[in-house]
Amino acid sequence: MKKGLLLLLTALTVIILAACTANESAGKKKDDGGGADEGTETTDEKVLYMNNGDEPTSFNPPEGFDSVSWTSLNNLMEGLTRLGKDDKPQPAMAEKWDISEDGKTYTFHIRENANWSNGDPVTAGDFVYAWKELLNPDNAFSTAFLGYFIEGGEAYNSGEGSADDVAVKAVDDKTFEVTLTAPTGFFLHVITNPAFFPVNEKVAKENPEWYAEADSFVSNGPFKLESWKHNSEMVFVKNDQYWDKDTVKLDKIHWAMVTETNTEYQMFESDELDMTEIPSDMAEQLIDGDNVTIEDQAGLYFYRFNVTQEPFQNAKIRKAFAMAVNQQDIVDFVTKNKEEAAKGFVSPGFVGPNGKDFREVNGDLVEFNPEEAKKLLEEGMKEEGYDKLPPVTLTYNTDEAHKAIAETLQGMFSENLGVDVTLENTEWNVFLEDQKGLKHQLSRSSFLFDYGDPVNFLESFITDSSMNRTGWSNEEYDKLIQSAKTETNEEKRWESMYKAEKLLAEEMPIFPIHYYNQVYIYKDNITGIVRHPVGYLELKWADKK
Amino acid sequence: MARYILKRLLMMIITIWIIVTLTFVLMKAVPGSPFNEERTTNETVQANLEAHYNLDEPYIVQYLLYLKSIVTFDFGPSIKQPTETVNDLLGRGFPISFELGIVTIIVAVISGIILGILAALRHNGIIDYVAMSFAVLGISIPNFVLATLLIQKLAVDWGLFPPATWSSPAHMVLPVIALATGPMAIIARLTRSTMLEVLTQDYIKMARAKGLSPWKIVFKHALKNALMPVVTIMGTLLAGILTGTFVIEKIFAIPGMGRYFVESINQRDYPVIMGTTVFYSAFLIFMLFLVDIAYGILDPRIKIHKKGGGE
Repeated sequence: MKKGLLLLLTALTVIILAACTANESAGKKKDDGGGADEGTETTDEKVLYMNNGDEPTSFNPPEGFDSVSWTSLNNLMEGLTRLGKDDKPQPAMAEKWDISEDGKTYTFHIRENANWSNGDPVTAGDFVYAWKELLNPDNAFSTAFLGYFIEGGEAYNSGEGSADDVAVKAVDDKTFEVTLTAPTGFFLHVITNPAFFPVNEKVAKENPEWYAEADSFVSNGPFKLESWKHNSEMVFVKNDQYWDKDTVKLDKIHWAMVTETNTEYQMFESDELDMTEIPSDMAEQLIDGDNVTIEDQAGLYFYRFNVTQEPFQNAKIRKAFAMAVNQQDIVDFVTKNKEEAAKGFVSPGFVGPNGKDFREVNGDLVEFNPEEAKKLLEEGMKEEGYDKLPPVTLTYNTDEAHKAIAETLQGMFSENLGVDVTLENTEWNVFLEDQKGLKHQLSRSSFLFDYGDPVNFLESFITDSSMNRTGWSNEEYDKLIQSAKTETNEEKRWESMYKAEKLLAEEMPIFPIHYYNQVYIYKDNITGIVRHPVGYLELKWADKK
Repeated sequence: MARYILKRLLMMIITIWIIVTLTFVLMKAVPGSPFNEERTTNETVQANLEAHYNLDEPYIVQYLLYLKSIVTFDFGPSIKQPTETVNDLLGRGFPISFELGIVTIIVAVISGIILGILAALRHNGIIDYVAMSFAVLGISIPNFVLATLLIQKLAVDWGLFPPATWSSPAHMVLPVIALATGPMAIIARLTRSTMLEVLTQDYIKMARAKGLSPWKIVFKHALKNALMPVVTIMGTLLAGILTGTFVIEKIFAIPGMGRYFVESINQRDYPVIMGTTVFYSAFLIFMLFLVDIAYGILDPRIKIHKKGGGE
């Protein structure tokens, strides 16, 4: 009995000791990581406190195809071009460029003073290396499709061609040449995308995992990576090798990794962050506040019809459903996040060769009109010989915000068309699988632009595109998109896109709800943060007073 | 004893094998793929990805590859965080979850037992009612509600503790309270009810009759027997808390391993699902084993070796 008690006591002591050492190590960690921070508070350093949302998936430029990677990476590195304050591509690593007469060959002249953070010069070879890695099928990067604009890119990526046939070459150390499959008017915007950032070939060959830790990371952008505690925090410091370092005002950026928007907001309230998103359940109270900035984000929240299933094989019935939806009510009373109600498909902000916004030229294509909707529904039902509309199920992926919109739509269909649709929700991954497999009738969707041209979105709906997911196919549409991708004359190219969007509205395989926006609250003393409608966060001009 | 342990070890291996097989079957039965994205993807890229992670192989080959990875304790790279291996993720997340967990357990056990004893000794008195109302509250308030409340009051409004993230002992206070309250309440109630039962036993009356001090009776004679049910729930409690809790870690932005249990499944990150499942089940089984041994120590009537030459 005594022995038993002794054993119990020993066990307890061991546990307590273990706990104490655990605590000690926690204390030490504070000293390692936190010490630097404390230093910054005593001096006059400008440290911006940001939230990255989560651990970056990868800082290997073409690998981290998501905002948690590219939002921060965009401030560590720089491509040949970089988006300016006007959201247009500006000279960056490349000082200037020449475009051949056929519009297919671009020759970039890299700055003499473009250097890596370790002092190496940024060379044309670094771009050749990086862009071939992007397309290398063994790497299996999901961004590879962006490189298909380059001649030989698709062939190499699909295993039919070889790396040598990819039309990128280093003419000399500072001259980089690329040939495209077609004159791509928006190519200078495409290459602002992090997938096209250079990679220091020398460093990458010595250490293939150079991007995994702060110690081995080399950058060529406004900031460099000082420390990176995985899943926990990162610190960026100003890169004194950056060609435009005089523009950069911040000394440091501290990134927390907080997934919960509520927590993020609470940290902002306790002055641990300089910026926050608005938690969805507080949108109503906070959205009209003083320091709230609302900026466009190019993209569309929409619904897909499945044209291979009854009753949506009929265009009139599809249109009837679309016209029964009051988008303005949804943004005013459901999302309450000040998005713009979508009356077309391509979001505002894309300016054509005539200097006019795409949206302005094509105008409102989908209008809310319950009477017309009812009429169209009757006509459509007559065409199909329906006495009663076949049952319709509306599917969304499980999420409170999507649910609220889905329920509103259900109400609108019932009120404006007299149709009772059934709601169904599934888990995200199952949802995507079913949507691709055309198992839904009517399902929620969204799209965010990867590069700054309307064709990025419009081409989703060509026949058999993996992004189509409606079963809709239209020869004329396919031709228009083909022309939008290859036409040399910009005006004609845009003309094709205008027509394509109108055709989409006529056939209505999808219907729009709202365009996206980005809503943030900043602290009073923060200025100069730039968010592009297409592209990633820019802190180059950011300042903290 | 050695034979018993050997037998238990063998059983553990078989159990883990069954768990792994079931997980594999379920994992593959659920529709979806790690490469399902809403945005632009294309077939070539998709095929390259699948080949890269051996997902184009027949199921039986994939199953054998998984078994191999488990035997060698090398679960390979995570699909969603390609620069990290599953071992990296677990190796980094587990110590943090463990640190938070062990402090939570100590707080919950000590405060739970004290609360339980006090309630039992002052049965039907004020202390009993207060302690038990507290316990009922603790059980019924979900920890994520408590967590948000704690952050709002103690961190944002009063500025006593940092609201979230993980870098100093002060950062530990709020998550520990949020996490410990539930288990503490359970332990308090269990301790109270068994204590009440034990206190009516003959040997306690005997001890009283002998004139032992009340403290000695409680701590030396009653408590040990009253703790049996607490020990019983400790196995699952330990495994659950030490390997991290998804919600609390998410709310407090703690870089533990709790998130991987949930997120890997949502993302169909197969190697991570396998890694976390094996890790958790091995840990749980081991904790239950420790509990069984602890029984033998606490209560000599329970023999863990039926036959054999004693000690």
